[in-house]
Amino acid sequence: MKTSNLIHLLATNSEPVDPRAVTKSLAWPLGLGLLASVLLSALAIGVLPAEAFVLPAVWVKFVYGVALALSLVALLSRLYRPGAPTQPVIKWPLLTLLVMTLIGFAYLMFTPESQRAAVIFGRTWLACPWFVLGLSLPALAALLWAARQLAPTDLKTTGFATGLLAGAIGALGYSFACPETSLTFVAIWYTAGIVLAGLVGRAVGPVVLRW
Amino acid sequence: MQPSDWAQAFEDKLKPLWLSAIGGDNTAYEQALELIASRLRGYFARRLQAMPSEVEDLVQETLMAVHLKRATFDPAYPVTAWVLAIGKYKLVDFWRRHERTGDLHDDIDQVGANELVASEPDEGTDHDLAVLLQTLPLAQRTSIELTKLQGMTAVEAAKESGMSVSAIKVNVHRGLKSLSKLIKQ
Repeated sequence: MKTSNLIHLLATNSEPVDPRAVTKSLAWPLGLGLLASVLLSALAIGVLPAEAFVLPAVWVKFVYGVALALSLVALLSRLYRPGAPTQPVIKWPLLTLLVMTLIGFAYLMFTPESQRAAVIFGRTWLACPWFVLGLSLPALAALLWAARQLAPTDLKTTGFATGLLAGAIGALGYSFACPETSLTFVAIWYTAGIVLAGLVGRAVGPVVLRW
Repeated sequence: MQPSDWAQAFEDKLKPLWLSAIGGDNTAYEQALELIASRLRGYFARRLQAMPSEVEDLVQETLMAVHLKRATFDPAYPVTAWVLAIGKYKLVDFWRRHERTGDLHDDIDQVGANELVASEPDEGTDHDLAVLLQTLPLAQRTSIELTKLQGMTAVEAAKESGMSVSAIKVNVHRGLKSLSKLIKQ
């Protein structure tokens, strides 16, 4: 066909563009994913008793999850747009991970040596990353589904970032049910679960996000 | 003119047209797409020197993508950068599809005479638009024919076809997506 015919077809009576499309494609999957994560966590594991929410550990988990999620939203908003520079925003998720690692390390150093193994492994280290991964899956599915409307040009990186975001949502839901109070535990095993979700996203991205 | 001056002059011409276009000015949109097509033609011609017959098909495939993914444009950045990023993505996709069939390894002596001649710059190799439209599901075909070939508004097309206005809009979008898949080589 002649290109000018195609152009005329595309331009005739074309609908105006929704300037908030990218925002919307992040907002509803995050809302839905968070709801699913919290509900599943409550139903499958069980919410902590009210007293637990006075402890700083729960709030550190919340802040970690929210900070990571927000920094990844900023990154993904760029990744979904062809040609948008990601360098300026990549530092925020990295910084969040670094700060959490330092907090975990400091917590360990302030723990007497005899208790350090308990502080690192807790009682649930084996299960925690898998719970975080499991709780992240609804968010991951919703985010990837919404991203198909958009135009990510680096599918592995976008998949990875989407997975990490879903992982942060999973971690937030898990925070309602996780009995561990060690910040070192959070830094290691929550992060492990989030990275697992990232790896799932990275594997699935090049298949699901193609356009 | 320096190459960078030319690029800036091009962007200065394109951006106001594009901003009008995404605001709903379809005349500006048509002009913007013509400019974008010429820019893409140059971009692909340089990178597909061994396969000049593929250039216009890629231009058309990229134009469809530019249309379907308009919502990903951010006015804070140059339109050209956004367009070329889409073009690069489609080019990489093109290489991926053609690697398997060994299209890249033709010896120049074995290339047919018709492939050595550059086709009309404006003409893709196959895919007559009318023929492609006929292959679409009825709802998609009708929506596109009424709004884009006959120039009806969505409301007029809804009256004419008996479909709801939102069904018309959804089917135009789906129809263009289907067309986009069909024109991929």
